[in-house]
Amino acid sequence: MYDVVIIGSGASGGAVAYTLCMAGYKVALLEKGRLIGRDEFSKDELAYCRRDLVTPNLFDEYHTAEEKVDGEWVATPGYESGMSFWNGNIVGGSSNFMSGMLHRMHPDDFRLKSKYGEIEGANVVDWPISYEELESYYALAEELVGISGYFEPHPHAPWRSTANFTQPPTKENAVVKLLDKSCIALGIKPLVTSRAVLSQNKAGRNACYYSNYCGSYGCSSGAKSSSREALIAPALATGNLTLLSNTHVKKIHTESKTSVKHVVAVDTLNGKEKHIEGKLFVVAAQAHETARLLLNSANEYHPNGLGNSSGELGKNLIFSGGGSGQGELHKEGLKEIAFEELMTTGLFVNRSVLDWYFVDNPKDGRFKGGSVEFMFEHQNIIARADKDNEENGKMLWGAALGDRVKKRFEEQKSIRFEIFNDWLPTDDCFVALDTAHTDKYGMPVGKIRLNGHPQDIKVGEYIAQYCEKILEEMGAKNIYSSVSAAPAQNLVAGGCRFGDDPKTSVLNKYCRSHDVENLYVADASFMPTGGSVAYTWTIYANAFRVADAIVAHLKSV
Amino acid sequence: MKRRNFLIFGSAFGLLAYFGAKKDSARKDKDNVRKDNDFKTVFASVESTIAQVQAHMFPPNSNLPSASAMNATFFLSEAISHQCFDRDTRAFILEGAQELQTRIDGDFTALTFEEKEQALRAYEETGYGSSWLSQIMTLTMEAIFSDPIYGGNTDELGWKTLQSYGGFPRPTQKYIGVDHV
Repeated sequence: MYDVVIIGSGASGGAVAYTLCMAGYKVALLEKGRLIGRDEFSKDELAYCRRDLVTPNLFDEYHTAEEKVDGEWVATPGYESGMSFWNGNIVGGSSNFMSGMLHRMHPDDFRLKSKYGEIEGANVVDWPISYEELESYYALAEELVGISGYFEPHPHAPWRSTANFTQPPTKENAVVKLLDKSCIALGIKPLVTSRAVLSQNKAGRNACYYSNYCGSYGCSSGAKSSSREALIAPALATGNLTLLSNTHVKKIHTESKTSVKHVVAVDTLNGKEKHIEGKLFVVAAQAHETARLLLNSANEYHPNGLGNSSGELGKNLIFSGGGSGQGELHKEGLKEIAFEELMTTGLFVNRSVLDWYFVDNPKDGRFKGGSVEFMFEHQNIIARADKDNEENGKMLWGAALGDRVKKRFEEQKSIRFEIFNDWLPTDDCFVALDTAHTDKYGMPVGKIRLNGHPQDIKVGEYIAQYCEKILEEMGAKNIYSSVSAAPAQNLVAGGCRFGDDPKTSVLNKYCRSHDVENLYVADASFMPTGGSVAYTWTIYANAFRVADAIVAHLKSV
Repeated sequence: MKRRNFLIFGSAFGLLAYFGAKKDSARKDKDNVRKDNDFKTVFASVESTIAQVQAHMFPPNSNLPSASAMNATFFLSEAISHQCFDRDTRAFILEGAQELQTRIDGDFTALTFEEKEQALRAYEETGYGSSWLSQIMTLTMEAIFSDPIYGGNTDELGWKTLQSYGGFPRPTQKYIGVDHV
């Protein structure tokens, strides 16, 4: 029997495994996908970006997405819609493939309801913990996992207990000269992006080698601060970790109201089932799959799903609100920098803007805003070649196509912005079981109801107008932006809210089930609100906090 | 949007059932051999049509390498028959080629350049035809700009043409080593 069985090897599962192994506990880390090591990763666009090779085939495993059509909720399975909610099912999870533009949440994100009051149609609540209780874990994650950057004071930047990042920022493309100058001309303060990518060697991992293909790809130097590189590898070195890849957990088995006995797992290579026992169990399967697993674990003791006495399991699922936009910097008329500098490959744009994280002025009013990241358009060659090849509603082909594509690659480079703002929790965004559809293991799939709050769109559009102005100031052409209620499937949280009241939350403040004493949830499921930044730094930090609580728990049993 | 709609209602051939496009999770080796043979038979019947459409879209006199020089039809055949390729889209690609052959009531390959242009533009006017042509365009782009390990992008000519190169390390095996089925 293991001391702890962890389901899922992504950011949170890795952080818990690392902490427990370092403390001397025997841990089993279960991952449905396979192990792809540092030496096996390549920059194969076809394999990693255009086929389902690191995520399940949608005919085998999928979700149904429930969207409102003509006033009715209509559920469409993923194999029909093409909509995938899988995000990197290999050891280390989606952290292998992140772009790594990370920020801490702001102290006010922890008390959004107190700060901004009720929002009609949204289920906003304060967190049961404050930023002060998480700050040391943000600092721990920054140092241990490896986040590079440069801290500059800003009215909307959260405070830090350490003066600055121990790793300097990753190298920057000369376009930042133009971007900085344009922002400053508009009275906007550009900040250096903190990034989960090492700029210097660290503990068996090599610094970034600026491959030009970072996001969506695994890292071949170990610079990207994935769970696999930063946490699972050192945890394995302790001898306390048993990594069970190709192991899919179908359900969690209880034989009483208060305790888990084992998990029922399937070896994905041979289909054989096995039971894995432990003293404590940690679910870290990514928010929507964590809720589904707990719902699928219903039995006579937990008829509505494991740990669901509140009826809140799966509710208040959140994504990230916002959108994106871009413009083209053309060779002709390029300001401030040489075209050759702009076309230098591999270097990061590395700029963020927090000016609209909180909005409070007489003209626009007072509301919670969001953050912005700037980056180049992804450099994937096939994707760039195979876009916008139409004219007057007709496809271009032949010589006209050749001219269009050649010009796009040789005479311009596109710069993008991505907006992150709160996806407000509502009654119409949740995950439940779809009993009409089962996966290849015979278990009901997750049915995800998707509905964005109008405020999410309003905030996104508010910020987008400023971002477009920045691109205009830079001299970009063909500028556009898109803000919609479509969810970013890779930025998902909620579904197992933590809170002090067992009647209104699934987990307590340490992310332990209110109902089941030896069950914890470590991934982003706990988040009642998501802040206006990518979740990953908060996931790492909170998982380290939960791991400390688990260590204290183990010492008491 | 339901992507299968254009597949189900777009054509009378009904190849979807033939290729097991419905969800069937327990595939056996025997079935795979049969499906593989089925694929080869059907693909052989549309191969020249697909090749001619690719050649029309990517001719030798363009700023991009030609489909023929990049082995684009071989690439397409290998790509769509791999297990990781969407099975609905695989069936659609074959179906759409047969539909084109039917629409012109004869041999597409025997048409003149102008006749081909006319036939493809007319096909594009239909939603079904437009979707199919987009698939052929995308797969041909993949042939030209994927890593040469997949059989296209001969001598990296696609990358050289755009002065944009795939990153390092390069793949040493196709599809991360997932076996062809």
